[in-house]
Amino acid sequence: MRADRKLPESVANSLPTVEPPLVTFNDLLWLLYLYPVRWVAGIMPRSFLYAIGRLADPIVQFYSRGRKAKAVPWIADACRVSPERANSIARGSLSCGLFSLLDDLLFLRPWSKDALRCSGVEGMQHLESAVARGKGVILLAGHFPANRLAGQYLRARGYAVLSLRNRRATNVAEGRLGRRFLRPRWIELQNIAFPDQVDVRDPECSLTILRRMRAGGLAALLLDGRPGTNPVEHLFLGRPQSIPTGIFQIVRLSGCAVVPMLCVGRSDGFRIRFDPMLDVLPAPTRDAFVSSNLPQFVTAIERQVVENPEEWKLWIHFLARRW
Amino acid sequence: MDPLFSQTVVRPPDTLDRIRRALIGSLHVNLSEEDLAYETKLDETVGLDSVAVLEFVAALEQEFGITFAPEMLTIEVVRDLSRLASYIDELLARSDIREP
Repeated sequence: MRADRKLPESVANSLPTVEPPLVTFNDLLWLLYLYPVRWVAGIMPRSFLYAIGRLADPIVQFYSRGRKAKAVPWIADACRVSPERANSIARGSLSCGLFSLLDDLLFLRPWSKDALRCSGVEGMQHLESAVARGKGVILLAGHFPANRLAGQYLRARGYAVLSLRNRRATNVAEGRLGRRFLRPRWIELQNIAFPDQVDVRDPECSLTILRRMRAGGLAALLLDGRPGTNPVEHLFLGRPQSIPTGIFQIVRLSGCAVVPMLCVGRSDGFRIRFDPMLDVLPAPTRDAFVSSNLPQFVTAIERQVVENPEEWKLWIHFLARRW
Repeated sequence: MDPLFSQTVVRPPDTLDRIRRALIGSLHVNLSEEDLAYETKLDETVGLDSVAVLEFVAALEQEFGITFAPEMLTIEVVRDLSRLASYIDELLARSDIREP
């Protein structure tokens, strides 16, 4: 149960409610992104859009300098690299997130499928053998922005991939303009660009995934997503984190296969990798199933992150959101 | 009738009892404190954790030895006790017909 539900009404009412400012700097960036940049993306070539990204990158780096500095020690520990290299990874992670936002705009174009340039798919046989089992496949992934490209690429090749999104993610930096106007617009555009998604807060969410599994389909789920109601504490990249357990229940109750998937790069050149199917260990209860399988799930994603640290976008988001 | 199942439904009592067993077992409902209707209880639980409904569906499938058709795996079906019981009875009747 969420902590705020435990507060007695009298206490909850006495808590000060801080009204956010009308407009924040964050709102202005989103305003630019959702209107002029989106319009430009609709008519100009991708290279022009990426040129805008290169211009915006120093602003994003400067704006996030504090959070980036906090992330450096963690990156250095987790990836066993020098602080200088960790700083470079933090910069790369921010840039990767920025360019993925620009890539998202390309998917609003009617001819967006033509914009995908896949430079290689590794381990396709692992996906094919998992699909052949007929019980559905969970594509186990981490917060690598390019995974959205993989989803679009696979869909174009006949593998429809359902993905899970938190469309109401909190943003402490947003003002009233962002909350009331920009965020709903962004959600609306995301729904257009990526229609095969289900909102994590939708009560129908897990049933939608189960339906997809029973149809022998695919769903991409993030192990490093926002923890739900029954998270477990586990070391992730060397630090204790709350890991969501919903994914384990879906695997336990559907009997589906689990294939780690990684996609790195941008829409003008990305690579997809499927690792061998995880050997899911059966267990009689929910908790026992999580305990038995959590370590191998975590290891699969940690390996992806350490091998491609610049592509993982949560080095900095994790810090802002959870600590 | 138990307040949890206070809706007016004309079902074989066995089906309702067994749905109740599945609900209690999978969602850990505390009946001694209950004065809520089935739908309210389910909404309350599923609203906190959407995976809970999977546990409930799995418990129903195990209890009755059935498999829900994909199109029936919706929150509308699961939270409507009357419809749910009808559907389960229908699946059971179909399996009876198939058996020699």
